[in-house]
Amino acid sequence: MLSAVNIPYPHWLNPADNTWQLTAATLVGLMSLPGLAVLYGGLVRKKWIVNTMLMIFSGFSITLIVWMLWGYNLAFGPLAHFGATGSFWSGFIGHFTPLATASSEQGQAVSGANTLIPFHFPTATLAYFQFVFAAITPLLFVGAFVGRLKFKAWLLIVPLWITGVYCVNAALLWGGGFFAQKGAVDFSGGYVIHLSAGVAAFTGAAILGPRRWQDRENAFPSNLMMVAVGAGIIWLGWNGFNGGDPFYAGASAASAVLNTNVATAVGVITWLLWDMFLSKQKKPTFLGAINGMLCGLVAITPSAGFVNGTGAIFVGLISSTVVWFAWNYLSKVRPFSKVDDALGVVYTHGIAGLIGGLLVGILADPHMTEYGVAGKHYKGSGEFSVSGWFYGHSFHQLWEQFLAAAWIICWTATATAIIFYFVKWVLGGLREDEETLRIGDVAIHEEEAYPEPTFGEPLDTPSHLHSDNV
Amino acid sequence: MKIVTAVVKPFKLDEVKTAVKDVGITGMTVTQARGFGHAGGHIEIYRGKEYEFDFVDKIRVEIICTDELVDTLIDAIVQAARTDTIGDGVAWVTDIEHVVRIRTNERGPSAL
Repeated sequence: MLSAVNIPYPHWLNPADNTWQLTAATLVGLMSLPGLAVLYGGLVRKKWIVNTMLMIFSGFSITLIVWMLWGYNLAFGPLAHFGATGSFWSGFIGHFTPLATASSEQGQAVSGANTLIPFHFPTATLAYFQFVFAAITPLLFVGAFVGRLKFKAWLLIVPLWITGVYCVNAALLWGGGFFAQKGAVDFSGGYVIHLSAGVAAFTGAAILGPRRWQDRENAFPSNLMMVAVGAGIIWLGWNGFNGGDPFYAGASAASAVLNTNVATAVGVITWLLWDMFLSKQKKPTFLGAINGMLCGLVAITPSAGFVNGTGAIFVGLISSTVVWFAWNYLSKVRPFSKVDDALGVVYTHGIAGLIGGLLVGILADPHMTEYGVAGKHYKGSGEFSVSGWFYGHSFHQLWEQFLAAAWIICWTATATAIIFYFVKWVLGGLREDEETLRIGDVAIHEEEAYPEPTFGEPLDTPSHLHSDNV
Repeated sequence: MKIVTAVVKPFKLDEVKTAVKDVGITGMTVTQARGFGHAGGHIEIYRGKEYEFDFVDKIRVEIICTDELVDTLIDAIVQAARTDTIGDGVAWVTDIEHVVRIRTNERGPSAL
């Protein structure tokens, strides 16, 4: 029998929690690489595949560098108090501190505001888990900008946006900041990630301007099988996205995974049925089903561990329906008709995220408990639950959800606009030039997704080959 | 000598090949092609947006034969490629001056 002294874990570390947290983080990372890279690569025209995929890989990398240097502590470290305790200014952001010391990786993870029960894994686990969420956010909204955004502009937009938008929203809702203290909840990022990504997509696309009309008219997807690969990884990756957010490998994680999947299944079938019976063509479409899948995934995200199974089914049904109508009708009216959100991020992420966040205030079942999350409803022993209108017969939670959504929309739109105009000023423009846009990948990267094979073989031995190798 | 060029529906290719062989022809060249004729294009829908695909997938078949064989060959192709629906394609005959078999350098009809 092992004596306790031989177990290489500190007393606070639970190997099961740590294992699940790292696994969940990796699943979420896979949603970006390769999930979003091949999903978006498959949805854009052939000539934009490389550019799109490189924006995904570079955005992921830049976010991690920012995260190590200041992002993690800005969003999840101790809050900077610029005002009286309890006021907005005392709880909207942390400090610009890097994750630079041994203890900042191997020490016990704690929450920013010290209102959560202590985590049973090290800070490195929490920092990596929170990083993959930060990283996927700009990678989602780049879908709105494909086909004209200057590559250099992207390299500047990512660090600025993570710092100025993501870290602020995350601190406010997750880092124990103002909205968390008020009682607004966002289980895994319906607001901080998806609503924010949708708003940034729309704002950025408005400033950036539309794709060339030739590209808009010929916007057919390059490869539906790649869309299937990406969409599948994203769906199953979401088990880590929502299953990881209780931060304990317990019942809340399990129910969040199950709820996530059932809401998504309902989202897929709901969209298919609308397509089959109400669309102009009356045809079930694969890409429609994928939209429905995203609606379900995004909308269940803020409520995954707060609603019960029935609630999850309603979340999938309502979100997929609302977004289907928005996609088909709202997109025809201003300002939506005027802004070229290339892959429709504002619908499947923005609107679905908003709907999901508000539905928490209606469908949350107080018998669904999450452990280790603070907020107004914190019950001391680590149990935490939320009561929506159906159960609590009060609009209080809905009102808190509404206020948080209003903040996310206003702040993301304002800060994204400032960042875009700033980058435009620095680089003298946000768009690639017209000739480059006509050619696409080859003009920007001297690479293309499906290089033409050369017919035949070279005639002369190249001088750089050693004679032994000829 | 003549060259017979036929643009046919892709799923008819194997029937055309068999018919051509039965006539006694020893070779044909096939190219994947796209085109439009009376049939026009079709619509595809991606993410709710309709795209018109004007050019339909076709197979372009080229066969060189002697003058005597042309009519039999055309009959065979027509019979094999025909579906009696719009878009069955066209075939045409062109005179050719000379044929060379590259391996042996044979010229004229014996090169076929």
